[in-house]
Amino acid sequence: MTVHILLPQQQADTSAGASTAYDSVWAGGDEANASAQPPASQQKGNALEQTMLSHDKLYVVLAVVLLVWLGVVALLVRTDRRLSALEHRLDDTS
Amino acid sequence: MNTPAVPELSEKERPPQVHRRRYRWGRNAVVAWLTAVLLGAFLLDIPRINILEHTARNLYFHVPMWFTMMAAFVVAAYHAGGFLRSGRLARDTRAFEAARVGTLFGLVGLVTGMVWARFTWYRGTGLWWNFDPKQTMAAVQLLIFGAYFVLRSALEGQPEKRGRISGVYLLFAVAVMPFLLYVLPRQMESLHPGAEGNPAFSDITAPIMRVVFYPSVIGFIGLFWVLYTQRVRAAALEMRARLRDSAFRG
Repeated sequence: MTVHILLPQQQADTSAGASTAYDSVWAGGDEANASAQPPASQQKGNALEQTMLSHDKLYVVLAVVLLVWLGVVALLVRTDRRLSALEHRLDDTS
Repeated sequence: MNTPAVPELSEKERPPQVHRRRYRWGRNAVVAWLTAVLLGAFLLDIPRINILEHTARNLYFHVPMWFTMMAAFVVAAYHAGGFLRSGRLARDTRAFEAARVGTLFGLVGLVTGMVWARFTWYRGTGLWWNFDPKQTMAAVQLLIFGAYFVLRSALEGQPEKRGRISGVYLLFAVAVMPFLLYVLPRQMESLHPGAEGNPAFSDITAPIMRVVFYPSVIGFIGLFWVLYTQRVRAAALEMRARLRDSAFRG
């Protein structure tokens, strides 16, 4: 069993002022930081993590969407199989 | 291979036929095509636009829903006209199934538009719906299409009459479509691109986005074709089973 040690949380980004309810501010939300590298705490991970976390974690969304799409396709194919089986049955008996 | 259930089955009563091998190839092509579109939609870098930011990628998904709905109802109207001309129930079945899948795409288009608008047009206001002319007209169009299904369910059990009356209705409903979706919203103050005072698609869309957008439109129309053909197959099975039952009883 792997014990997941809680990493110390990144210090709250207070540069946005007290108006925000969040403890950090999305780098992509700031025009100036649009092309900035992810914070140092995110660069430590392995290659997979580095890829998935880049571009504001957009690739995580891609992975989820692809999984949903594959699920829909699997359902589509299975329904087609069922229809084919029924078609063959009606072809043979009528 | 597809011998009719009753030998003396008339041309008008024959169930719709689907070319199974062509369907399977088409389905696999559509699946591969749309998977590539999904990859392109997320992997290609897009120019950063104020307010829109990453939601600009919704162009690849939200807009094709409407194009697909329009294509679906053109197919439905084509088959409705075909039924009125020939009286073949297979054509009526095709019109109905195309309209059904088309309505699904329209509903998804409306809801995705609401979500997109909530976080761009109505950001900071908490609004999900503000009767923007484009959205309102699209909703009206969906209600007009919805009445087609109500009309059909009212004529259940009278396939000839149901096909004739609902077919005529569908032709009118589809004739109204370009006006409600394009002409009227462009005469009014709408936040939707292409409306008065707002740049249209051609003015604001970067070339790199067109590389994904056009294939996406083709891919989703292909997905419509797959779902529609699948439903036609199921409807044909139902018709054959019903004919067989009545043959045994008679």
